[in-house]
Amino acid sequence: MTLKKIRYQPPLTMTCTWHTLLYYQTPIQPLLLRQPSTMALLHRFNCRSSPSPPLLTTKSTTNSTVFSLSTLPRHRRFHRKFPSFKLTATLAAETTAGSVPSGGGGPPKLVLEVKDLTAVISESGQKILNGVNLSIYEGEIHAIMGKNGSGKSTFAKVLVGHKDYEVTGGSVVFKGENLLEMEPEDRSLAGLFLSFQSPVEIPGVSNSDFLQMAYNARRRKLGQPELDPLQFYGYIMPKLEMVNIKADFLNRNVNEGFSGGEKKRNEILQLAVLGAELAILDEIDSGLDVDALRDVSKAVNALMTPTNSVLMITHYRRLLEFIKPTYIHIMDEGRISMTGDISIATLLEKEGYKAMSSS
Amino acid sequence: MAAVSAFTPIIRTTPSPSFTTPLFTRTPKLKPLPLTHHSSPPIAALSDPFVLQIAESFEDSIPSSPTLEKLRSFSSESLLSTPWPSRKDEPFRFTDTSFIKQSEIIPVSSPPQQSFNNLSLFQDTHVLNLTLIDGYVMGSLSQLSGLPDGVFVGSLCDINSDEITKRVLEFLPVSEPGDLFWSLNGVGSPDLVVVYVPEGCKVEGCLHLRYFSSEGGVKGSKKLPVSNPRVLVVVEKGGEVGIVEEYMGGDGELSYWTNAVMEVVIGEEAKVSHSYIQTQSLSAAHIKWTSVRQEKSSSYELVEVSTGGKLSRHNVHVQQVGSDTITGLSTFHLSGNDQTQDLHSKIVLDHPRGFSRQLHKCIVAHSLGQAVFDGNIKVNRFAQQTDAGQLTRSLILEPRATVNVKPNLQIVADDVKCSHGAAICDLEEDQLFYLQARGIDLKTARKALIVSFGAEVIERFPSSDLRKKVELHVKKLLDPEGHVENSM
Repeated sequence: MTLKKIRYQPPLTMTCTWHTLLYYQTPIQPLLLRQPSTMALLHRFNCRSSPSPPLLTTKSTTNSTVFSLSTLPRHRRFHRKFPSFKLTATLAAETTAGSVPSGGGGPPKLVLEVKDLTAVISESGQKILNGVNLSIYEGEIHAIMGKNGSGKSTFAKVLVGHKDYEVTGGSVVFKGENLLEMEPEDRSLAGLFLSFQSPVEIPGVSNSDFLQMAYNARRRKLGQPELDPLQFYGYIMPKLEMVNIKADFLNRNVNEGFSGGEKKRNEILQLAVLGAELAILDEIDSGLDVDALRDVSKAVNALMTPTNSVLMITHYRRLLEFIKPTYIHIMDEGRISMTGDISIATLLEKEGYKAMSSS
Repeated sequence: MAAVSAFTPIIRTTPSPSFTTPLFTRTPKLKPLPLTHHSSPPIAALSDPFVLQIAESFEDSIPSSPTLEKLRSFSSESLLSTPWPSRKDEPFRFTDTSFIKQSEIIPVSSPPQQSFNNLSLFQDTHVLNLTLIDGYVMGSLSQLSGLPDGVFVGSLCDINSDEITKRVLEFLPVSEPGDLFWSLNGVGSPDLVVVYVPEGCKVEGCLHLRYFSSEGGVKGSKKLPVSNPRVLVVVEKGGEVGIVEEYMGGDGELSYWTNAVMEVVIGEEAKVSHSYIQTQSLSAAHIKWTSVRQEKSSSYELVEVSTGGKLSRHNVHVQQVGSDTITGLSTFHLSGNDQTQDLHSKIVLDHPRGFSRQLHKCIVAHSLGQAVFDGNIKVNRFAQQTDAGQLTRSLILEPRATVNVKPNLQIVADDVKCSHGAAICDLEEDQLFYLQARGIDLKTARKALIVSFGAEVIERFPSSDLRKKVELHVKKLLDPEGHVENSM
């Protein structure tokens, strides 16, 4: 089967959380989208009740530095490419537990908007991102899949400001601010969190000191008084429980001598402690056994709120069964080559990336 | 930096040229006549008048002691042929001792009269401790009750058992000669502190030896009062003891010279844990010798943190005299001011199956600061199946700050596992980024990582009280402002 990538614009309902997503039971027609049966959810967008006509535009004209997002042409949010085969996603039925309606009743806000982002490795100048476009609205869970070396992790690191990479073009707007101009610590304080694929060991710095230091930095930023060690202890104990970690974990040095699973749990613990409006989870499933994966996913799901978003990077469908994505993007040669729903992952599992790259 | 943190194995190395000559035999520049006999060498011609002058003043300052006579005459004799070290002498190539030489050296000739009871540092008297002030044992400030039977801690002349006295004197003087400072201590030490642990006796808790320098010249004066504390530790077969040596005194202003020696004799299967903390005045000279003899299956663990002194030098010499020994040296030097921190260590392995691990870390955080490390490990012909590892890491935080490291292994045996590594670096970028990515600003992140650099050594102190105390002290030195904030 040859896959035909078709750009289309989704109906309005797709702007809310993922449980409203895609109920396609029949082959998708490029210009004719069947409405999901959950149309009732449209009431949240009291001003727009009819799906916008699918467009074939590839460029968004949204100026995201403007805060009045409700006035923006919402129908231009997604540049999606869908395979023209039969989608049998039953995502919406499965994810009701994790989905929370957007608070306030207003339209979801744009959290992250990446436009034509290009980046090179600082040292060698080798091109590694070749024009990434991605928009994430609050409450959404996105997953990026792709071959080794396709630029997934680089994309994540570029977003948090890693010095190994240099941005050569494009823009990244995070909550209306130019992310690329911010220092790594300011990006974190602004609400961007990266769970590292292989977190570095820091001998001599205890986990509790580290977490307290980071959490107090956040509180300072929010104008709240800092917590002393005792108060912090009270704050962190429930978080430890959430990730299923023992308390003696706090006395150990940051990631020193941790097993792969412990390192990932520690990353999620940090996410739980610090909170984030956009959490980027770079292969949190690698090196985890089923139990650990369940713990970690449970914690991530518990941390999801209507105003949070998640961007996962993974190789395996397994993770997506625990944390249900709204969208799946396929990254290839430094750009997002395809966007779709869970069915992409299913196809990927069956046929590999070859199926994706043929156009 | 993974390559550095792991010991890189080196199977055999040729000795570095600088170490092919024995450490302590120097060729005098002015050799009068070929020496053919030992009984009456033309010593006078080789003597350094400056050294003799100091030695004489030392001799005049101390009371006579028949028991120490042998040590003193042995030391005097070696002083006759030892000049003041210059930068041309290999062991002092990087260490400038002219600060001492240019001062007015005055031996402290009597124990201090004033009361020290109000000093905060003597508060925790519940622990076993022996306090020395300016090299003199202060019985009234010490707390030695609760020592097991047969254990003796105190001045040599206070030993009430002829047997122990006799046994202890067997080790005086040791045959292994030290350098000039070692001999000066032998001449100038008013007393000998003895720690004696009889066979099979395990001393619980740590024995705290506290050395306090009270006499000192004020800033700007050339006066340099010198004290020569000397300690001999004898642990008989199967005995165990933990010793904490803490050198302190002066709030950074007083200038004095502490010229200390500790000798440790560890019997078969005996264990000694040695913690050494040096936080003396930043105008002081601190020269320290630690000489260790390890018998079969014995274990010696040293953990050192040195932050004080304008000139601080620790000479550690571990001599293996039996097989299957375990030796651990973990040292952290912080040069946060216009100061020199120097470690000269030497481990000589002459018997099979010795195991040694050495970790030396230093931070130089001042543009006029300096750190010196010369770590020698000698694996001689009969020391087969030796496993010796050495690693040194230095952190330079200021432009023009200096670190001189000279790790060197001399391996003669052919069936050994030896490794060494040396790294001089700035902080790890990855670690900094990790902290930043969690919202911690660069300055705070750097501070945390700098403090953590020494923590690897500090964590090895056997006592948790000590760990906390030293950690706080180091944090305070590395971040004076932060400390003020916290204390307010």
